[in-house]
Amino acid sequence: MQNATEQPNTIRSYYEGLANGVFRAIACKSCGRYTFPPTGCCEHCGSWNVEPAELSGEATLLFATHNITPACHPRFEKIAPYVYGHLQLKEGPIVQAIVVGVKATPQDLRELFERGPVPAKAETLQMDDLPVLAFRVTG
Amino acid sequence: MTNTLRERVAISGVGCSRFGDLLETPELKGTSIQELTARAVKEALDDAGVSAQDVDAVFAGNAMVASSQLPGTYTQLSKWIGTQFKAGVHFEAQCSTTNVGAALAAMSIAAGVYDTVLVYGVETTRTKVKQFSPYEREPISHQQTWLWTDMAVNQAYGVPQGYDIFSTYNGLVALGYCRKYGISIEDFDRGMFELCRTRRLHGSMTPKANIQEKLEDRAAREGFSDPYDYWQSDKHNPFVAWPSRLLSLVTTADGASAMVLTRADLAKQGKSEPVEFKGFGISYSDLPWYGDDPTYWEFDKRAIDAAFGMADIKAADIDYLHTHDCSHISSICTAETIGYLEAGKGLAAARDGQLRFDGNRPMSTHGGRHAFGHAWAASAGSDTYEAVLQMRGKAGARQIPRPPRVSVIHTHGYAMIGTVVVLGSL
Ligand SMILES: [Zn+2]
Repeated sequence: MQNATEQPNTIRSYYEGLANGVFRAIACKSCGRYTFPPTGCCEHCGSWNVEPAELSGEATLLFATHNITPACHPRFEKIAPYVYGHLQLKEGPIVQAIVVGVKATPQDLRELFERGPVPAKAETLQMDDLPVLAFRVTG
Repeated sequence: MTNTLRERVAISGVGCSRFGDLLETPELKGTSIQELTARAVKEALDDAGVSAQDVDAVFAGNAMVASSQLPGTYTQLSKWIGTQFKAGVHFEAQCSTTNVGAALAAMSIAAGVYDTVLVYGVETTRTKVKQFSPYEREPISHQQTWLWTDMAVNQAYGVPQGYDIFSTYNGLVALGYCRKYGISIEDFDRGMFELCRTRRLHGSMTPKANIQEKLEDRAAREGFSDPYDYWQSDKHNPFVAWPSRLLSLVTTADGASAMVLTRADLAKQGKSEPVEFKGFGISYSDLPWYGDDPTYWEFDKRAIDAAFGMADIKAADIDYLHTHDCSHISSICTAETIGYLEAGKGLAAARDGQLRFDGNRPMSTHGGRHAFGHAWAASAGSDTYEAVLQMRGKAGARQIPRPPRVSVIHTHGYAMIGTVVVLGSL
């Protein structure tokens, strides 16, 4: 029987990072920009000359709405309706993710909308089978 | 990249089935998926005045193979449409499928490889094969439809972490639009009501539409004297992604569409009035589809510029526009990016009736994704079908008073293939 070594897997590494509160990306040595979540090449310039990077998780929440009920994916049935946000990370990438700590009601979402962009911080939301990225408003 | 078609290409025939549900819609109930496709193909071939054996190649589109169970679509359907022994391929560009197929056909004709190409798309988003039956179907749950459909969306990170089409395509875009142009949530809601009313009016005049009931009639049937009260009722029109409501969204459908493309000189000898396929543009993007401004989508802009460059047209030349309106607010943003509507004024144009078939900025005269319905791989073909009917002056009650000479059809193939097609009078 051959001895097969487990190969590096970027997707697995990202979720394993999330489980420990680490937000993994790649940084491009050609153009200097980040690809988040990570792939094997730069999403901006197509360069393969990239290296692993960790992002701060600091972000600005630009807009927040909510998802449909029942959720499109069974993983999120339990928490639907949840708030879903459009954010810009301090390091540049635009991200869409679940927002925790805000109720998915027209009243709460309207109040948030009227405040304009607000600071937010990434955290890990542990679902039954997978840790996922989430953000919490911090200011 | 020269971005040119070296020979002139025409659409010589178009066909489309009724859109609806193979288990319950009149004209569709009990129909097999094979016969559904054949219906659209036969109409297109008859319209072009050719037989299936007159075509050189067949590009067969189907996106959600889990419900159709028809991979190898070209061979499985060949004996149902008469195209045995032709060149062919099964392809998908999700909800842009049929128009991407038209672009592939145009390229193959302009390159001199084929003279005449049949493109068709078939999709069943409401029904699926029942167990192992060759002919019985059963409904698909809402969640199953989206689970299968979202397989076309980022499966590494987007979908596993809570991506939701209604949030991404509707709610966030709506909020971006309101903030950018200083539109109140109340004015937004009223504008979306008027837009839906227009789409439903168009559907009511389209015999092949999924929904043929005007919004006002539906409201009255539910006991509302003011249709805006119906619009605002949580029971009938809940927020699916605040501030976007249910009736601003797609309605799923089973359906099929087809078209015949040929050399322009051959088309002139055909049976029906041909329409020139003047140009196309295609550009795609993975999530996120927009940067800090949810109203501006770079891949759409690139597709628009490529298509307009190939066809040598400007926004001011457009007489009829369809933009992908799976999300009504996104369709307005795209029309504004194209320059057909003034930036920030799209909802006002809807309120003023400008987007109606008899207005000065007609859009989605078949009813669009909401009223005509959405059968993923077949839908772009249904939009082209409508544009061709309008250009021929054959659109019946919803005919644009002065038949368009230049039509532009924009579609979003999930997720996302921005596809723009320019049609012109030959
Ligand atoms: Zn780079």
